This record gives sequence, structure tokens and C-alpha cells, in this order.
Amino acid sequence: MYSIIVVPPPTTEDRTTPQQLRLAPGERLTFGRGAACAVRIPHEGVSRRAGEITAQGAFWALSNLSGRQTYVVENPEGAGEHIKVGPGRLEAPVPFEFSRIVLPAAGDLIAIDVWAPRHDYLRADGDMEGTTTAPAFSVDRTKRYFAVLAALCEPRLRGEPHAPLPTVDQVVERLRPHWAAASRTSVQWNIDYLAVKLRLKPGPEEADPGPRLNGKKESLVSLALRFDLVREEDLVVLTGSGGAAR
Amino acid sequence: MTEPYAVPVPRGYRVGGWEVREPIATGAFGSVYEGRRRDGQPATAALKFLPTGTGTPRRLTHLRELVEREVQLYRRLRRPRLIRMYDTLVVDDPERPELDGATVLVLEKAQTSLSALLATQPRPPSGPALLAQICEGLAQLHRANWVHGDLKPANVLLMEDGSARLADFNMAAELEGTHAYTPAFSTPDYTPPELLWAEIGERGRRIRPSADVWAFGVLAHLVLTDTFPLPGGTPTARRDAAAAYARGTDDLRLSPELPDDWREIIRDCLTRTHAERVTVEPLLRRVETAAGTARSPRPSLARRLRRTTITAAVLAAGALAALGYGISDWTSDDNGPAGDASAPATVSPATYGAAELRTDKGVPAPYRVLIVESAHDCAQEDVTPALIAAMLKAESNFDPDLSDPANDEYGIARWTPRVLRYWMNADGTPADTMPQPPFPPAESIPAMARYLCWIAPRLDAGLPGDRRVLIAAAYRTSYDKVNDAGGVPAKYRDYAARIAQYLKEYTPPGAM
Repeated sequence: MYSIIVVPPPTTEDRTTPQQLRLAPGERLTFGRGAACAVRIPHEGVSRRAGEITAQGAFWALSNLSGRQTYVVENPEGAGEHIKVGPGRLEAPVPFEFSRIVLPAAGDLIAIDVWAPRHDYLRADGDMEGTTTAPAFSVDRTKRYFAVLAALCEPRLRGEPHAPLPTVDQVVERLRPHWAAASRTSVQWNIDYLAVKLRLKPGPEEADPGPRLNGKKESLVSLALRFDLVREEDLVVLTGSGGAAR
Repeated sequence: MTEPYAVPVPRGYRVGGWEVREPIATGAFGSVYEGRRRDGQPATAALKFLPTGTGTPRRLTHLRELVEREVQLYRRLRRPRLIRMYDTLVVDDPERPELDGATVLVLEKAQTSLSALLATQPRPPSGPALLAQICEGLAQLHRANWVHGDLKPANVLLMEDGSARLADFNMAAELEGTHAYTPAFSTPDYTPPELLWAEIGERGRRIRPSADVWAFGVLAHLVLTDTFPLPGGTPTARRDAAAAYARGTDDLRLSPELPDDWREIIRDCLTRTHAERVTVEPLLRRVETAAGTARSPRPSLARRLRRTTITAAVLAAGALAALGYGISDWTSDDNGPAGDASAPATVSPATYGAAELRTDKGVPAPYRVLIVESAHDCAQEDVTPALIAAMLKAESNFDPDLSDPANDEYGIARWTPRVLRYWMNADGTPADTMPQPPFPPAESIPAMARYLCWIAPRLDAGLPGDRRVLIAAAYRTSYDKVNDAGGVPAKYRDYAARIAQYLKEYTPPGAM
């Protein structure tokens, strides 16, 4: 029942798969140099108790427990969008779905990623009120993950129900005109994030040690089409008139 | 109506024998209108238009799938507490491409919905009675192995006589009024915490009947107190409160206005985990007691037994195989075959219900499950497995193929077709046509239990003798003949004596 995922800065031990810490609403996570912190950042320039992340429903808040440093929370997809949390500020609400806490540390910048995949968005149908039956998914049609999802769904949305899915390279190709920085890694990151966001049930094959990325893409597309997350009219995000172009 | 209608249909539009009147409700996939016709019954109905004729090929298959699921469900589930479907029609109107090919479901028309009632009259005096009926509807769905998945006031429709019926139980199309949803849609206030952010597979979210029980708890609290059980001014705040409660960081604080019995019921619906939640059958009994309403008809045994009997058949085959290998003395063992160390730990049909029905007196193993379960489906304490077994012994000596055309009696329970007709359906409705023998035990025995269950409370309280024997005598003749005779009529004394003897044989020591 978690609503917030914290990805601590990579340590030497887990360079391949970064750790993910999941917080349920109301749960707290402290970070800092001290041994008592849930996330230890062994860097001389970081306070012993540097800060605290609190999950509040679908969003989160940051407390800056340091004496002198101001922390910046960036929206990595937000073209410079950021907030500043000064020293001593407690529980500053963070509105982004993706965030990166940047800690200045003696000349270095240390980043902690925080995802809030449960943010709610209005459906395309637009008739949702408090008591209506609501979709179990909520996607932001302006985010890059939506463009990736649309690119994956495109062949099948164009009327070939059993068309083979595009490869990651083809998706990169498709998105590059409007997303110059698109790369295999960034597209793959978005696919992995979508699996978390859409709460894709790990299939039995996930027990295998090697990642079965093909299976994941297939499941995402099938889910997205089945529940109308991506529709024909959404394919405009691929042509650049949608919000994904930045 | 503030929302645009998903399927605009002009007033006066004709489809089949129906004329479209006022709009009733709409959702993302379809819209409901009132329909009238000049001749035939019923004269009014709710017409639900589901557009299947337009759209791109992919959306078309998607919508067709939704419609098919909904229609199938209505066809298969006809229960008194569920809205009924009379007919399905297809619009053939090339002039109107937006309607051409649309599927129209002709549904029973309701007067209003519970949400409309609560809006005008919070805490309605009829609340407890309505809750009992809603719970009965849930029980009817759950017994048929369906989960509603979106129980809330808008999906409880109220008929002209004020009684409640469930609608929108197909989870296939999204609509308010007479409608349904995809399995990954829900209403946050009625969603159990384990489903709030549940994982979703390609086929949708997995949902259990306990989700309906949670929703019923929320709905009951709302109907009785006009507040939600979890605190918060918005659905989002209440969702977070539900999450905090489920994680154990917060306690459940129900309204102090609730009467004690309802408080206990709602508490058992709103447990932190689905496993702790009360199931619908005991829930229904408690709700009916709290509401002070009459007991509803007992559950259908057939579906539950289907699985049990398969297991029983397999196990029986195993037992026969064991006999073939020379372990032949198990029936003479007072404790049944459990004495055989190699026997599987699961309960075999040969020992099923051993606490209430002896295993060593020749009650055939294949019928034990049916006998015990049928008796358990009756709340009358005198209708016991031993009584049913004694009667089957007296009626047919457990002969499933008995055929006595001279007396018009057939099968293991010696059913007469014109009588069986009234008892063969689990929901208490008479069969549409006269049943024809053979009457297999799976039909005969539950029907017998239903009939006995009906007889038991109709026998006068002061009659002398064993109530169970009196019930059996009334089965042979009728309950008023037994009442008139002030006991077993002379003509049936022999029969009664045999029943008494078998009852004694089949009842384990200390059971009665």
C-alpha cells in the first residue's frame, strides 16, 4: 500500500540495481551521515541528520534538518522547475510526481530520487467526481512515460491488434524528434517506471534472475489498451503537439 | 443532468417495440433511458444503450466484450434481489451511424436509487430493512460466484414497492443507474484498503467477495448514521484514513449513534485484512436479525456442491481402489477409515460429517456430502443429516434409480414430479416446467432438505413425540394432516417407526 518510492544515491555495493525504499502514507524516512538514519549517506559534507521524507497520502513532504544548507528539489522532467527548502524547514510539501533532492555536500552534489506514482489525474472522459466509479490508474498525459507508452501501443492502436511491439530502439527513434535526449537507457527507465506506476503484477517469469523486458512491455501494452489508458487520440503526443515535447 | 450523455438518443426514438422516453442516467460507455410500449408486458422498462456499432476496430472489440459480459451475466443470474433483464435488442438504423448497431438492454425499471433516497432523506427509517435486502442481493451474487465489485448507494435501485435490488453487477461497462464497470474501476470510498493500490494484472484487478463485504460495511454505516465510517472531508482524506487503519497505525472509530448490534456487524465487515472479514452467509443472518426482518430463502447448494462432489467422487474412487487392495474392513470400524494410517488427511466422503452421521451403519459414502450439506443449508435444528439419511433409507433404501410409476414416485427420495417442481429450485421458485424423472440424488436430496425445512416450522408446537419423526411423517403425507391428527396419523405409524429406528442407528452417540 505504499505511495512513495525513495531511490537513495547509488552506493558502491549496488551499482547495478539501485535500491528502492517504499513508504506508505504516514511513514517517515530519515537520511544523513549518522548511523541512525534509514538512508545513510557516507559523505563528510552531509549533516549527521540531514533530513526526513514523509509520505502524505499520494504526495510527500521534506524536512530539512541541517543547520546551514538549503536543499533543492528538482523536477527532472520539468525544464528547471524546482523548489527550495531552507534549513530548519519542516514538512515542506513537494508537488512533483518525479523529484530529485539535491544536497550540496562540500563541492559535490548528492541526489536522492523520490517518486510519487500515485498522483491522481483527471481522466480523459473528464466526468469524475468524488463518488463516481474511478479508474484504478491515473496517468499524466504530459509525462515522458506517457509518450513511451503511446509509442509502445501505437502499432496496435493503428488497427493491427496483433502487431509486434516496437523494440526499445524503435521507440527511441520514434520519440527522438520531440525528445532530443531520448536514449535506450531513458526509454528503458520509463518502461520500468510504468511497470511500478501501473502496479503491474510481476508475472511468474519475474522469478527468473534475468530481466524479461519483452514480457514487461507486452504486459504494459496489453494493460494500457485493455483499460483505455492510451487511445487513438492520444497518439498526438508522438507528433509533438502533445505535452511530451520539451 | 450535468454530464453529456455518452449515447444521445432522441425522445420518441423507436427500437424494437419500445419508444424512448426520459433519460435516466449515463456513464462513460452507455446511457439509460426510460422505455415504454403500447402492448405487452412490462409496459415500462429501462433501456440501456451500449454503442457497439461505431468506433475503430480496436475499441469495437473492447466494447463488444463489455456488452457480451454484461448480457451473459444478466442471462445467467436471475435472482429476486437483482435487477432483471427482459430482452436485448440491436439497433438497425443506417440513418443514424452513432446509434446503428448499438446493443440495447431492456432492464427492469426502478423507481429511484438509494443514493437519491439518502440525498432527500438521510438516515431513512427503512434503512435497516433495505440493508437486509441489499445483503440478500449480495448473498445471491456471491452464491452464484459473482462479486459485485462496485457496491454503493447509486448501484442499489429501489423499486416501486420500496424494496431494494442490486444493479450494475457486471463490472463490464461504466454507468450510473443500471450499469457496470471494468474490473479496474472502483469508487474510493467503498474500496477495501487492500485494493486501494493493488497490483493489477493484464486481466484487471483481482477482487474477492470480501471487497463487497467491506463496501457493505461502509454503505451500512452511511445509511444508518449519514456519515462515512472513516474520517475525512474528501474521498482522498478517507482513502488515506483507510490506508492508515489497514496498516494498524489508526483504530476504527465508528459513529456512537450506531446501535450495538449494527456496530458489531459493521466492525466485522470493516476489518483490516480481507481474511478477517465476515463472509456473506453469516453476515446475512446477523443483518436480518439486527434489522428484524424475516429470514430470506436459504442458499443454493448446487454450485457449492459441484466442487465438493467432484472431490468426493475422486476420493470415493480412491476408497474403492483401497477396497480392491484388501483393506475391506473400514466400514466396520467405528471411527471410520481414519484408522487407516495410509489414508489421506483430507476428509473423505466416507467420513464426511462423522460427528452428526455415523459412518458404520451403511449410509452410502457417495451421498454423505449431499446429505450433510443439504441438512446444514436448513437452519431448522430438527432437520439433521441423520433425519435425511433415515428418510432416504425408509423411502428407497438409498436406491437412486428407484422408479415407481404406479405411485408416481421416483429416485432416492421418492419424489412425485408435481411436488418436486416446487422444491427443486434453490431460490424457492417453482420450476417453469414439470420435472421429468430420473431425479438424480444431487437434485433429490437438496430438494428434500428444502421441503423438510419448510415443513418444520409449520408443525404445531405441542405435538407429542420426536419432532424429527413428525417432520418425516409430514413429508409422507402433509404437515396439516399431522397437525390435524395431533401426531403421526395411524396410516403412517409403521413408516414413522422405521424412521425412528434409523434415526437412532444413524445418530452418533452424544450427537443429539
